[in-house]
Amino acid sequence: MTLRAERIGLLALPGLSFLAIVYALPLFMLLLKSLQIDGQFSLAEYQLFFADEFSRSVLWRTIRVALLTTLLALAIAYPTAIAMARAKGIWLSVFLVAMVLPMSVGVIVKAFAWTIIFRTRGVLNDVLMSLGITDAPVRMLFTETALIIGAANVFLPFMVLPIYAVLRQMDSRLPEAAASLGATPVFRFFNVTLPLSLPGVVAGSAFTFSLAISMYVIPSLIVGERQQTLSMLTARSFLYLRDEALGATISSILLVIAISVVLGSSWLAARLGARQ
Amino acid sequence: MTKPVRSDKGQRTYLDVVHVGKAFKGTTVMSGMDFRVAQGELVSLLGPSGCGKTTLLRIIAGLTGADTGDVVLDGRNITSLPAHKRNVSVVFQSYALFPHLSVAENVAFGLRARGAAKGDTGPSVTEALSLVRMSDFADRPIAALSGGQQQRVAVARALIVNPVLLLLDEPFSALDRKLRETMQVELKSLLRDRNMTAIFVTHDQDEAMGVSDRIAVMNAGQIEQFAAPAELYARPKTAFVMDFVGLSTRLAGRVTQVQADQIQIETAHGAVTANSTLPVGTHVTIGVRPELIAPQAGENTLEVTLTDAMVLGSKTLLHGAASEPDKLICELPGMPGGMSRGDTVTFGWSVADTLVYEVTS
Amino acid sequence: MTGTDRLFITISWMIAVCCIIFLMLPIVITVVTSFTSSAVYTLPPPEWSLRWYRSLALRAGLWDAVKLSLNLAVISTLISLVLGTLAAIAVTRGSFRGRAAIATFTVSPLMMPGLVVGVALLQFFREIGLRDAYWSLLLGHIVITLPFVMRTLLASMAAFDFSLVDAARTLGLSYPKAILQVLVPNLAPAYLTGGLFAFLASMDNYPISIFLTDARNKTLPIKMLQYLEEQPDPALAAMSSGLILLAVIVLLIGSRTVGLNRMING
Repeated sequence: MTLRAERIGLLALPGLSFLAIVYALPLFMLLLKSLQIDGQFSLAEYQLFFADEFSRSVLWRTIRVALLTTLLALAIAYPTAIAMARAKGIWLSVFLVAMVLPMSVGVIVKAFAWTIIFRTRGVLNDVLMSLGITDAPVRMLFTETALIIGAANVFLPFMVLPIYAVLRQMDSRLPEAAASLGATPVFRFFNVTLPLSLPGVVAGSAFTFSLAISMYVIPSLIVGERQQTLSMLTARSFLYLRDEALGATISSILLVIAISVVLGSSWLAARLGARQ
Repeated sequence: MTKPVRSDKGQRTYLDVVHVGKAFKGTTVMSGMDFRVAQGELVSLLGPSGCGKTTLLRIIAGLTGADTGDVVLDGRNITSLPAHKRNVSVVFQSYALFPHLSVAENVAFGLRARGAAKGDTGPSVTEALSLVRMSDFADRPIAALSGGQQQRVAVARALIVNPVLLLLDEPFSALDRKLRETMQVELKSLLRDRNMTAIFVTHDQDEAMGVSDRIAVMNAGQIEQFAAPAELYARPKTAFVMDFVGLSTRLAGRVTQVQADQIQIETAHGAVTANSTLPVGTHVTIGVRPELIAPQAGENTLEVTLTDAMVLGSKTLLHGAASEPDKLICELPGMPGGMSRGDTVTFGWSVADTLVYEVTS
Repeated sequence: MTGTDRLFITISWMIAVCCIIFLMLPIVITVVTSFTSSAVYTLPPPEWSLRWYRSLALRAGLWDAVKLSLNLAVISTLISLVLGTLAAIAVTRGSFRGRAAIATFTVSPLMMPGLVVGVALLQFFREIGLRDAYWSLLLGHIVITLPFVMRTLLASMAAFDFSLVDAARTLGLSYPKAILQVLVPNLAPAYLTGGLFAFLASMDNYPISIFLTDARNKTLPIKMLQYLEEQPDPALAAMSSGLILLAVIVLLIGSRTVGLNRMING
């Protein structure tokens, strides 16, 4: 029996070695490459990157867009998750379908749909003009606002579901206990519901933020070349500019941000969890 | 059922549930519910699942609204008052302690909800924790506590706000038997010391008997009897109460003769005489408490074939062969021995001890 | 329930309904525009027509792209299901150190920027001399699908009662046979859910695929973005609607067999 227990670990080897070779190793190599110039350790590429005004603006724009997208998604997702946690029967199914179908349909379909909506001769302009809100078509495509709305739309289910999951699990007697102790609805929300929902908020926000930081298809379609994000710049470096050093550098920055977000949110979740 | 309540202490009515009705999704859970508790009384709502006891509790607490009727507490009509304004504390079956707060923070919650600043709650919390003997656990997280410890914290949390009424929903059901008995004694003395009015909800008759001044036995949304434990045991008003509280020999039968104020009843095991004036032909259920039966002939005598003789140390229970829902049970003090499965034994008891109920359904 | 409670709840319901509309809006608009008779995206369409759907049959390279995407999705998902089962058993049942780290590692590609993984793979394959686009794509898609499978399998296996496998073994089955005949069927919902989501993720993938394709091996997403640049007419809406239909079918399969709630919550 004990032999079996040790040997069981070996079962993980095929999958593990596959990922180690085809996933971890290439990433590691990429990271290494960004730290080198002509085979020698150097931070020169990073210095070049941060010194360049254009690069800095791209970095700042990427972070800004990701933050605003996350905030917008959170603002919509939180009340939605609250309603969803109380939903039963057919309404719950409606909610679930509304979350899962967009997730399953894929980024391409959704990003493309938003270009239809936002274009100058597109759906939203038609509606605005026929309602008399504007006289001339508003230029929406290629704006940062359009990008944030589109991205929030694509990532919304990833923000709603973790919060919903946590709220659903919450003991329904807790708000009742709070009420019987004299807590007003407002007090109850801020002192019971909100703190207990935080793990879901952290998980959802971390995931949304990291998706938003690294998104490529959505900005490509909605804002195009004019306002680039880090990932677009990376792709350009490799596919068009043939500047692989730059590409490796930006990729590494993206990687570091992604890893930091994961680690940071795990730490935060652990701290929240320790009190629970 | 509407005479004014006089408990042993002669206190006036404190909680008055007047003609309350409630229906869920078209099914009526209760209607015309009247229920009165005196100040300082410890009362239990006892009944099987689905009898409406928890619903009644929640209506009193303000967690569920009544469809009809009023709830009056200490002279104030609180029927339309939301739960957080009633000053009625609830201890839930699962304790409902806030997992994101420590023990001390849980206990302080009610004070903070009423506007106390975080820093001011210290002394009261310390006092409340020492009352339930949990002073050492102040900074612990809830998850680290055992069931009994959690229950004590829940009680401290409920009492620290000086509620006018304390409601407890099956507070002991999650504890194991030994612990349950200890906690019942502790809680009862704690509540008595503070002259707290409390209502327990339970399905466990031993618990109700041990903790209460009076017990309301509920069935299908109605209170069948609301009396002190001794009264419920010796003089149950309905067959349901007799079955629910304590053991009994019970037999189905039909009235065959009436003489003055006694009747003769024919059962599957023989004839039984009881004090009653029900007419001939009435279907009845008769009952006798097992300790009132002796293994010898009496005013009522039945020959019984034993299916079991349970030796329980301080007493022996003799079970006789009977088809459900009839039961033949005799309780003998001590361990007389000499009786086993298959023996024929005489069950004898007096006419005065025979309980009779008309079968209505 | 106080007035304030009711207000809270009403407001959250209103926002939730807006959210549902917001989420479904792109999908509905895509499907509606795909039936337009005009060559521009105005709504409502001047006339309903199937012309764009018919035009798909004539699209150069479209069906090759569809076939390639399906091929990659199915094969990579199947391989991931096998690798994933083995790894999940090891993590759930093994007693070696670092199990939690391995579990996190196998799910981590979900959190990594797809683009970065694509770039890394491009450079890596070039380093080791792998030039064949199809094999590069397949390896890349296994990296895409494996985390999805692992996520659901790990959760399901943690809840699985392994004494069932032990019971089978005492009744005469060898360990591998017991796994196949007891564990796998019992974990069918997890397989289905993980497999379906992995499949969809592979069909939809762009950031990794774009770096591994060549002129002759283009997956559907890549082809669609190419069409968008060259010829942005409502035929794209028709293609998107095809993908929407695929997602709907997948979800229907999932909800009939496993149930929507379980699919999402595991």
